[in-house]
Amino acid sequence: MASYLLKRLLGLLPTLLIVAVLVFLFVHMLPGDPARLAAGPDADPQTVELVRKDLGLDKPLAGQFVDFFGRMLHGDFGTSLRTKRAVSDEVGDRFMPTLLLTLASMAWSVVFGMGIGIASAVFRNQWPDRLGMTLAVSGISFPAFALGMLLMEIFSVQLGWLPTVGADSWRHYILPSITLGAAVAAVMARFTRASFVEVIQEDFVRTARAKGLDERVVILKHCLRNALIPVVTMMGLQFGFLLGGSIVVETVFNWPGLGRLLVDAVTMRDYPVIQALVLLFSFEFIVINLTVDILYGFINPTIRYR
Amino acid sequence: MKLSLTPLVAALALTSTLATPAFAAKDVIAAVASTFTTMDPYDANDTLSQAVVKSFYQGLFGFDKDMKIVPVLAESYQASKDGLSYTVKLKKGIKFHDGTDFNAEAVKVTFDRVTNPDNKLKRYNLYKNIARTEVVDASTVKFTLHEPFSPFINSLAHPSGVVISPAALQKHGKAIAQNPVGTGPFKFVEWKQTDYLKVARFDGYWKKGYPKVDTITFRPVADNNARSAMMQTGEAQFTFPVPYEQAEVLKGKPNLVLVAAPSIVHRYMSMNTLQKPFDNPKVREAINYAINKDALAKVAFSGYAIPAEGVLPKGVEYAVKLGPWPYDPAKARQLLKDAGYPNGFETQLWSAYNHTTGQKVIQFLQQQLAQVGIKASVQALEAGQRVEKVESAQDPATAPVRMYYVGWSSSTGEADWATRPLLASESFPPKMFNTAYYKNPAVDEDIAKALKTTDHAEKTKLYTDAQKRIWADAPWAFLVTEQLLSASARNLSGFYVMPDASFNFDEVDLK
Repeated sequence: MASYLLKRLLGLLPTLLIVAVLVFLFVHMLPGDPARLAAGPDADPQTVELVRKDLGLDKPLAGQFVDFFGRMLHGDFGTSLRTKRAVSDEVGDRFMPTLLLTLASMAWSVVFGMGIGIASAVFRNQWPDRLGMTLAVSGISFPAFALGMLLMEIFSVQLGWLPTVGADSWRHYILPSITLGAAVAAVMARFTRASFVEVIQEDFVRTARAKGLDERVVILKHCLRNALIPVVTMMGLQFGFLLGGSIVVETVFNWPGLGRLLVDAVTMRDYPVIQALVLLFSFEFIVINLTVDILYGFINPTIRYR
Repeated sequence: MKLSLTPLVAALALTSTLATPAFAAKDVIAAVASTFTTMDPYDANDTLSQAVVKSFYQGLFGFDKDMKIVPVLAESYQASKDGLSYTVKLKKGIKFHDGTDFNAEAVKVTFDRVTNPDNKLKRYNLYKNIARTEVVDASTVKFTLHEPFSPFINSLAHPSGVVISPAALQKHGKAIAQNPVGTGPFKFVEWKQTDYLKVARFDGYWKKGYPKVDTITFRPVADNNARSAMMQTGEAQFTFPVPYEQAEVLKGKPNLVLVAAPSIVHRYMSMNTLQKPFDNPKVREAINYAINKDALAKVAFSGYAIPAEGVLPKGVEYAVKLGPWPYDPAKARQLLKDAGYPNGFETQLWSAYNHTTGQKVIQFLQQQLAQVGIKASVQALEAGQRVEKVESAQDPATAPVRMYYVGWSSSTGEADWATRPLLASESFPPKMFNTAYYKNPAVDEDIAKALKTTDHAEKTKLYTDAQKRIWADAPWAFLVTEQLLSASARNLSGFYVMPDASFNFDEVDLK
């Protein structure tokens, strides 16, 4: 187990390196001159050159590449072209709001999604199943921005119960996490149901029932555990996506998170910020995948790590 | 002893209850559309950052809410005959937020900073014409220019031309952008990049009785719908901009006021005069006749725009009313025939913006042009593409731009900055933004001469001549002048959007 973990962690490095190289090249291939953009509409060529020098964009690409890697190895991701603050500060400020919102949405959507999924599988083709799947299909089909605006209109503007924008108190988390979690809950419900329906027809379930076990134990212990593998995989993927910061939800609720930072950075061709964010997202995905792989072992002890 | 305390406590309690209404904190929250880039106006290029720094910084001159120049930290000024030097008298007894004195030395330090290219400040281009800034005495400062530049006072009034505390500059260096210290009515409190900028009343403000509110919080909220929701719930007292589609919603609310303010934001479509068929003036005139500007204002701007009344919008100093250009498709077709294009032609139309309004405009223009036989393929350019395809085109002869929908507002509020960067032949991209590649030696001469004279009548004559020539040459389709939509709570007063989309909140008060 320990050697497996070590191997996987070491495998992380080349992956990140490849991502970093690709991102660097990709970002610099985007059309548009960041110095021109940063200098603004009033600037003349002389000022643009000043800005270019200030941002270190006057060096040849290879030189910038070496700089970028050298500093990255020291944990320095450079300074934002737009705000001139350290990239690590820019990203750091926005990481926690996104993480907390992601956790809040994941928590309720996993509970609801799996609950609906299990109920639908157990009562297959009866009314709980129909109701649950109707909800799930609606959750997937309803676009997040529309849901967010609708919730805000009802609960903030009309009823005045909840605040509109910001991330200051727990009350600020309610509407965005519902908006963000709706689609996840829906996906989870459908996945849980599909996987559960399969498991529930297995021989060992029949055996468990035949030996006189309580139906609740059969469902929640025997079936759930076996149905969990694809569900956990899905959960990991969704978690990774949400951690990237939902651009739509963060815009609608003015959430001070990573999604909005990425949009701003791309618009302004803020190379260092884009690079750091893409690296961070890749890193998050790798770590989540690793966690999911390890979770498999706990869910199904017959899985061995080598 | 014990006994004597009780009435005192009671009296204290009474005073504090009585006093509460008078000391109720007046906190104003303004919801704005995008995040601020910096708190150093010399390093900012966006109107919004420069608008909010006005709360703690002031310049020698400034603009009032109608874009008229007013002295702020200056008392008066004197321009030399040759237009090369300006002597400015300063107000006395003004202090910076850090307690140090505002004087001629502070002005010198501030302007020496921006005119030194080593500091790499983005506003270098606005002030690089200053050769020297000299302290004459504690309250007199003299600017000497490299070459005559008649709108120099406008440059000083520009929101970036503020005076920064030399002590703070010394203390913070480059970090002045995070720790601004000026002479304004409010002190800087906190800037949380993601959330808000907060400023609080400066008790030592030189203008007695101001400011009338305790704090202002500027909250960047990117989403239009969310800003409008904040206004409805009372979470914000002021918001700008209000998108056209939200105007009707907010209009109906009893506690809100919707304001459509005049602007100097000018919208036009430039035509590349170096390329066929736009090298033919008849074609350019035809296109002007082919577009119904009234309908454009209604369709794309929901009526919150007026047809362009000239080359420069009203409100820019020295603007002349020449239009609007009449809508006459029959005449447009005739002109095209005369020019040798009886069946029209194919071309492309780009928009400098990819927002909804920009897309509506180019689609509308496309339909209007189709009516007279011009088939235009439209594309809304994203900011990076715009820089790549239009602003960075190195060779005028091969520049790919044909018809190009864009806008401009003269940040100095004066004719020079509304004509020279856009219509002088020295301003072909990549230098500046003459996207029509328009060259008329007479216009060039007018613009150059007007820069050198400080005589108002002479300047009026030169700029009138230039505008008439440009109107006749029609390098642009003159489209509309926008109106600026903002909303404020009924109990808020004195918070204005200025014609250049900056803010003026000198008189802000909350009832």
